[in-house]
Amino acid sequence: MNIMAELAIIFGVCLLSEGIAALIPVAFPASVIALLLLGLLLFAKILKPEHIQRLSGFLVANMAFFFLPSCVGVMEHAPIILGQLAPFLLISFLTTPLIYLVTGWSVQWLIRRARGKGAGKHV
Amino acid sequence: MSDALLASPFFGLTLTAAAWCFGCWVQKKTGFLLCNPLLIAVALIIAALSVFHIPYQSYAVGGDFIKLMLSPVTAVLALNIYNQRTILKEHFLPVLAGCLVGSLTSVASILALCKAFHVDEALTASLMPKSVTTAIAMGIAESHGGVAGIAAAAVMVAGITGAVFAPLFAKVFHITEPVAEGLAIGACSHALGTTRAIEIGQVQGAMSSIAICVCGIITSVLALFL
Repeated sequence: MNIMAELAIIFGVCLLSEGIAALIPVAFPASVIALLLLGLLLFAKILKPEHIQRLSGFLVANMAFFFLPSCVGVMEHAPIILGQLAPFLLISFLTTPLIYLVTGWSVQWLIRRARGKGAGKHV
Repeated sequence: MSDALLASPFFGLTLTAAAWCFGCWVQKKTGFLLCNPLLIAVALIIAALSVFHIPYQSYAVGGDFIKLMLSPVTAVLALNIYNQRTILKEHFLPVLAGCLVGSLTSVASILALCKAFHVDEALTASLMPKSVTTAIAMGIAESHGGVAGIAAAAVMVAGITGAVFAPLFAKVFHITEPVAEGLAIGACSHALGTTRAIEIGQVQGAMSSIAICVCGIITSVLALFL
């Protein structure tokens, strides 16, 4: 598919999502609505992977790059953060591995338990 | 002339692209965990702006163009999820349960630590949603009397931590199931962690993308009760 047509589809989905975000009563980000909407279109077979494959491939392969300006934007709030730097860093930093551990461990346990049952009783 | 250069969007665009390439180059040369391209590029840009006394606003003229692409970049994660639909169907329950447990752990541990450190209410409200993607976190923080900017900063710290240390976490905590690894990355470090999950593997990337959505929704709902 033409790369510009892919661009039109993806931008169109983002545009539609901003409209939906404006309509719903709770604050919910348009980007996540766009993810859900595009997923819906794919699972409903209205869109085929071929329709967005090339552009998606490029965007996903370079994903971290697009977060750079947002990360740099943190410097704008430096004065407030520096005022409470110790709790800010400690809490932001420490809870991350904890959430990783709890989530990863529970999912792994559930998967292995289900697999154990499926494979029979000798596990 | 320097005023004209700083007013141009190409200043921010060039600086971002160049810093990113440099970050990637250092990562390739050293292969060292902390030499993450994102971390290096962010540090480099902030250092450059500070050293030359360039206001953030001059950088943002171009930077905002790149920021605009965050919505399309998040949207196309749907294709990663779609491509892994068989695995998703197979592990539907663990996926949901994992995201629920992850979101609960996140909110509970942050609230507990804030209490332990006698953090004031405004900062607590700003830190509380730090494990979810920026836009959701900022909304939650503001509706609870927090500062959106601090929430965004905490989201970035959590995201960069996940993006840099995800492989180390998997090793230390013995998480070997790709589905569990992906969900854990997404639950603790949202879209930024997902950038790393995609590099680790297709299943990990897709599961991390799912966790962004599901944990975002769960945390928004949880926040309503706090």
